[in-house]
Amino acid sequence: MIQCETFRANVQSRDADVLEHLRKCDACLDYAVSVDPDNFFRAIGGEELVPPGGIDAFASDVMSQIRVRQAEAPGARRFLVAPRRLAAAAAIIVAIGGGWLGYERATQTVAPPVIQAVHKQPLATKPVVETYQSQNATIVEMPSQGGSDANVVMIFDDSLPADL
Amino acid sequence: MPAELRLMIPKESDEIDDRQLVRTIRGGDAEAFEQLVRRKTSKVYSLCYRIIGNAEDAKDISQLVFIKLWENIEKYDPAYAFDTWLYRMVTNVAIDFMRNKQSRDNAVNSNLRLVKTSTDAEQGVVVQRKEIESVFNAVSSVLSPKQKTIFVMSEMDDLRSSEIARILGCRESTVRNHLFNARKLMQQQLKKRFPEYSRLWEEKQ
Repeated sequence: MIQCETFRANVQSRDADVLEHLRKCDACLDYAVSVDPDNFFRAIGGEELVPPGGIDAFASDVMSQIRVRQAEAPGARRFLVAPRRLAAAAAIIVAIGGGWLGYERATQTVAPPVIQAVHKQPLATKPVVETYQSQNATIVEMPSQGGSDANVVMIFDDSLPADL
Repeated sequence: MPAELRLMIPKESDEIDDRQLVRTIRGGDAEAFEQLVRRKTSKVYSLCYRIIGNAEDAKDISQLVFIKLWENIEKYDPAYAFDTWLYRMVTNVAIDFMRNKQSRDNAVNSNLRLVKTSTDAEQGVVVQRKEIESVFNAVSSVLSPKQKTIFVMSEMDDLRSSEIARILGCRESTVRNHLFNARKLMQQQLKKRFPEYSRLWEEKQ
């Protein structure tokens, strides 16, 4: 450790030797703080502390916790990375797939709309029934409005063809 | 050699050893990891203790740091200093812990009484080394976890702003702003709770 005189001459320096003196010499503490009040808290630092119980106990605690974790989830360390890798792989697949679909849609030639052929039934002229005779038919004659109004007659007969 | 260089940048041989050790650990060697734990315990625990201010919590947080280190050792990029990566892990875990703790303790801290009276403040100031730590723990309770972490790394671990910025992944100007605000807030707290010490700053101004 440097001498008090050397320290006091270099008190504003932040060299390791000066800081070491600040943190160890009680006689110079007041002086150092009066020159630079920030030395008040600076005086705390420096030394490396040891956890309660010592380093050996601490290290074996850490290792036993790690062993417990490994026993609880064997290969956990390896699998910690796996979900991220899977997610990344999925994202890449989705991105490539999406891009490919988009490209396909963009470059696809638009097919002409399919014109469905509608096969219309040819119109057929049905015979006009002027007279009808039957034993089983029910014939209903709609009342006419007179003049040029057509005379509508409804015939209900099981023996008539369906398309008549 | 400046303190920050001595403390933060390990000797070349140490750094090579750290990297070699990490390579061995990646090969699945648990004994190599135990060796790394022993080597870094003091460094990790000291930082945790100064940020958290409680020995038992600091011990728990340090253990958590090493467990995370084991789980994430694959992510370490040997192109960077191992200690920078380790410090980043420590600060992340400690800041998370402080955030959770702060929300629980806010009510308690706000009711802490003044340690000294204003009459005491008029007496001459004799700095008691053993008191500094408890004064720091009391006045730093008003700092945000990040402010406190930066203050500790700068003033007690003697790290440069550039190194702190690299550890925390922020700009150097952000670090300086946090430091400025931390000092200001702590001076205000000193004035309220330890007026005999706040006079040190007032006399200087």
